[in-house]
Amino acid sequence: MNMLKKIIRTWTLSELLKGLSVTGRYLFRKKFTLNYPEEKAPQSPRFRGLHALRRYPDGEERCIACKLCEAVCPAMAITIEAAPRDEDAPEINGVGRSRNYGNRRTTKYELDLFKCIFCGYCEEACPVEAIVETRVYEYIFDGRGQNVMTKEALLRIGDEHEPQLAADLEVDGRYR
Amino acid sequence: MDTQKDQVTIELNDTRLEARQGQMLIEVADANGVSIPRFCYHKKLSVSANCRMCLVEVENAPKMLPACATPVTDGMKAWTKSPKAIAAQKSVMEFLLINHPLDCPVCDQGGECDLQEMALGYGGDTSRYTEGKRIIKEKDYGSLVSTEMSRCIHCTRCVRFGVEIAGIPEIGGTGRGDHMQIGTYVQKALSSELSGNIIDLCPVGALLSKPFLFSARSWELKSVPGVAPHDAVGSNIQIQTRNGKVMRVIPQENEAVNEIWISDRDRFSYLALDSEDRVTQPMVRNSDGQLVETDWQSALEAAVNGMKMVASTDGGGALGALASPSSTTEEFYLLQKLMRGLGSNSVDHRLRQQDFSGQSDQIAPQLGTTLQQIEQQNAVLIVGSDIQREQPLLSHRIRKAALSGAAVSTVNPDGIEFNFPLSGEVVTDQLTPALSAIARAMVDMGMGGDLSGLSALVADANVEPAHQAVAESLIGGEKAMVLMGEIAYRDQNQAVIYALTGAIASMSGATFSVLTEGANALGGLLAGAVPHRDTADATVDSVGMDVASMVDMAPKGLLLMGIEAESDLAAGPAAADAIRKSEFVVSLSTFADSVTMGKSDVILPLAAFTESSGTFVNAEGEWQSFGGAVAPKGEARPGWKILRVMGTMANLDGFDYNSSEDVLSEVRGLCDQAETEKWSWSALSDLGDASSCTVASTPIYQVDSLVRRSEPLQQTPLAHAGQATTGGAE
Ligand code: SF4
Ligand code: SF4
Ligand code: SF4
Ligand code: FES
Repeated sequence: MNMLKKIIRTWTLSELLKGLSVTGRYLFRKKFTLNYPEEKAPQSPRFRGLHALRRYPDGEERCIACKLCEAVCPAMAITIEAAPRDEDAPEINGVGRSRNYGNRRTTKYELDLFKCIFCGYCEEACPVEAIVETRVYEYIFDGRGQNVMTKEALLRIGDEHEPQLAADLEVDGRYR
Repeated sequence: MDTQKDQVTIELNDTRLEARQGQMLIEVADANGVSIPRFCYHKKLSVSANCRMCLVEVENAPKMLPACATPVTDGMKAWTKSPKAIAAQKSVMEFLLINHPLDCPVCDQGGECDLQEMALGYGGDTSRYTEGKRIIKEKDYGSLVSTEMSRCIHCTRCVRFGVEIAGIPEIGGTGRGDHMQIGTYVQKALSSELSGNIIDLCPVGALLSKPFLFSARSWELKSVPGVAPHDAVGSNIQIQTRNGKVMRVIPQENEAVNEIWISDRDRFSYLALDSEDRVTQPMVRNSDGQLVETDWQSALEAAVNGMKMVASTDGGGALGALASPSSTTEEFYLLQKLMRGLGSNSVDHRLRQQDFSGQSDQIAPQLGTTLQQIEQQNAVLIVGSDIQREQPLLSHRIRKAALSGAAVSTVNPDGIEFNFPLSGEVVTDQLTPALSAIARAMVDMGMGGDLSGLSALVADANVEPAHQAVAESLIGGEKAMVLMGEIAYRDQNQAVIYALTGAIASMSGATFSVLTEGANALGGLLAGAVPHRDTADATVDSVGMDVASMVDMAPKGLLLMGIEAESDLAAGPAAADAIRKSEFVVSLSTFADSVTMGKSDVILPLAAFTESSGTFVNAEGEWQSFGGAVAPKGEARPGWKILRVMGTMANLDGFDYNSSEDVLSEVRGLCDQAETEKWSWSALSDLGDASSCTVASTPIYQVDSLVRRSEPLQQTPLAHAGQATTGGAE
C-alpha cells in the first residue's frame, strides 16, 4: 500500500508541484524587493549610520571634549585631544573674542570607521548630543586613510544633516 | 609625643573595635576600613566639621553626629549605615548639590572627584531643586591653580591648608550662607611654594591645575612612581603619562619623606621637558666648526677618541668632569669610574660651592637624622639657609616642630623670612663672626671642648645678647639640631663656617645637619663623584681638581653632564669662559644653552628625570630608586647607558652592566661595606677671611635647568620675589 502511494506521488510529481505552488503564489503577490538604489528602505529615527558632530544654532560646536564617547566606545574607534579654546578659534560671535574663549574643546576628534561597530554607545554617552549617528549609510572610501573621520569631516556631515538630526532627536527625546 | 593613651572599646556597626581615647570616630573607622563619606575632613588638616557629610548615628544621641568631630568614648555605639544615618547623609548630599553646577563633563576633576563618587552612592537621580543656581565669578590664583568657584562646596580644606600647612593665610571665606565665597581676600596670585597641593586637597573641581587644564582625563593616565629631582628631600611622586608623554605630576604618599605634599617645583617642573632647546640628536662639531647631527656610534667615538687624545698628550690629569648635583647615583658612579679609568681624579658635582679648602675634613652633606625626627626637635638652629625655599618640605617639618614649641633660631643674611615663628634671630651678612660669637657664648657657659684651630677666632668674638640667646636655646633643648644650608655651604669662607657650625653642634650636643644643592648631593659623594674621595669615601692617591680649580685652570678636556655653566655654577660667567678655553668639550645635555651649543665638540642628548631609571639618595640617606616613566625624547638616552658605552669604548674594565640595577648594586655594595664616617675636629690651618660677605641662595625657581624652563613656575610671584639674584643665575 505504502509502496503504491509512493509510486503515485513520484510519477505525478506532486511534491514538485506543491513546491512550485508556493513560488507561483509569490509570483503574483506584491514584491518585497526594493529596487535599490532607485528605491530605499524606510529608516527608524534611531538608525545608526555614519557619524556626525553637531553644532549649536549659533554655530559653536557642541562637543565639549568630555571624552565620555572615547571611554565608552567598545571598539576604541574614537581618539580625542583636548585643550582650552584658544584665541585663534573662529570668531563666531561677530567681532571680538568669542564668548567660548578658554572653554573646553577638542583639538582633535578622530573616529575610525573601520573599527566602529555602529553600536551607538557614543551617541548614548554624549551629554550634549554632539556625536550622533545619521541616517547616512551610503559612503565609500577610495583612498587609504579615509576611514578615519576627522573633526572637520564629522562637523561637515553634521551641518549637512542638521534638520534631520534635530527632528530625529526630537522624536527620540521622550524615551531618553 | 604622649606616653600611654587610654584605650577604649567602641562598637562601630556592631563590631567591637579598640581605639585611643580622644580619637575622632572617623579616624577609628578609617583605621578599621569602615568607610564614612566626607568632604571637609582631611587627616593632615584640623577638623572643621562644616560639610556634614560624615553624619552617623550614635547611641543615645538625639541627632546624627559628624564622625569627624565626635571623639570616641568607652562603650560608644555608632552606626554608619543605619537607615537614619543613610537618610542624613543623603539629605546632606542633596543640599550640597543644590548649588553645584553639575558640569562634570567639562570639569577636569571628573573621574577623580570626591563629590562625583559620593553622589553616586548618596545622591538622588533627579533634582527636586528647580530654582536657578548661584554663579561665582572666577578668581585669579596665578599661573599654577585655575579656579571654577561655582563648583566649590565650602569644605574650607584650601583655607585650612593655607593657615596650617603653607603658613600663609592667603585664602579665606567671605560672606555667609549661599553668599559665601572662597577666594583670596584681595585679588592676587598664590605665593606659597606649596600652593599646588590645594589642587589635590580640593574634593571637587573648584581648584585645578592650570597647566594641565583640559589636556587629559584621569582615566587615560598611566601612573609611574618617581622621585622629584629638585631638593634633598626626594619627594615621592607619581608621574602620570598618556601616549608616552608626561601629562602631570602628583604626589605619592610617603609618611617618612614627603607625607602627602610636594612642592610646586616638584609638581610643575615637568613642563620644561618639551621646551624648545631640548637636545634630541647626538651632535659633533665638524672641521668647519659647525655642529652637525649624527648617529650615536660616531658621536660616541668622537667623544671617547677626543678624551683619549687629551689623556695621551697631556696625561689623564688634563681631563675634568662636572656633573649636575641632581644626576642619579648610577650616573655619578659611572662618571667617576670613567674619569678615574682615564687617569683623572677631577670629577665634581658641587657646582655652587666656592671654598674647597676644608673638603677633606668634611663629611657628606646629610641630615644626620630622619626627616620625621625633625618634628621632634626642641631646638633648631638654621645657619645660612633660606630653608623654606631651598628645601620646602624639610622646612615644613621644621615648621611643625616650631609650632609644637621648638625654639627655632637663625643666623642668616637680611631679608629671609619664614612661615614659622623664630625664637631667636641673628641677622648678618658675615656668618663667620656671628658663628664665632655663638661658639664663644657656649664656651663661656662652660660647654667648651677642644676647638683646636678655631680657638683664636672664637676667643676674639664679641658676644651680643642675640648670640647668647641662640646658644642658650640650643644647650637648653633636649633634642637639638644645627642645620647648615646652602647659603653657608656656598660661602667664600665655607671651611671655617663648616667647622664653627660643627663646633656649635658638638658643644651643644646637637645633631649636625648639612644640606646643599641638588637632589642627590649625598649620592654624588657616596658614588665618589668628587676629586678628593673615591666611591664610598675611600681615599684617593692624589686629589683632583674641584669645581673652583676647574674654573680657574680650564682643563684641556672637559666632560659635562647636565650642566648649564652660566646658571648652574657659582662662578657663572667665569665658568663659561673656562669651558670656552678648554680644548675638547663633551656635553651630556638634556637642554642646550648657548655655552654648550657654542663650544661643545660633542653633544650627547641626555634623558630627563622622567625618562631614565636611577637612584637618588636623599638627605636622610634613604636610597630611592625609580624607573623611567616614558621613553626618552628623540634620540636621547639615559646617562648611565651613555657612560657605560663610553667606558667600554675607552677599553676600560668593568663597564659591562646590563641594567641600572647592576650599577646600583655595585655602588651600594661598596657603600654598605664602608664604615660611616663621623665628622670630627681637625685643626684648621687657615682661618679664612672672616669678613667675607655671604650671598643669597639660589632663587627657588632658578635652581636647575628644569625649573628655569617651566613657564608657569616662572610666572609665579615667588619667581619674582625680591630675592637678590645671585652671581650665576640670570
Ligand atoms: S558607534 Fe559604537 S563602536 Fe562606533 S564609535 Fe560609537 S561607540 Fe564606538
Ligand atoms: S562627542 Fe559628546 S561624549 Fe564625545 S567628547 Fe564630545 S561632548 Fe563628550
Ligand atoms: S575651593 Fe575646594 S578646597 Fe576650597 S573650600 Fe571650595 S571645595 Fe573646599
Ligand atoms: S567630614 Fe565631617 S563634617 Fe565634613
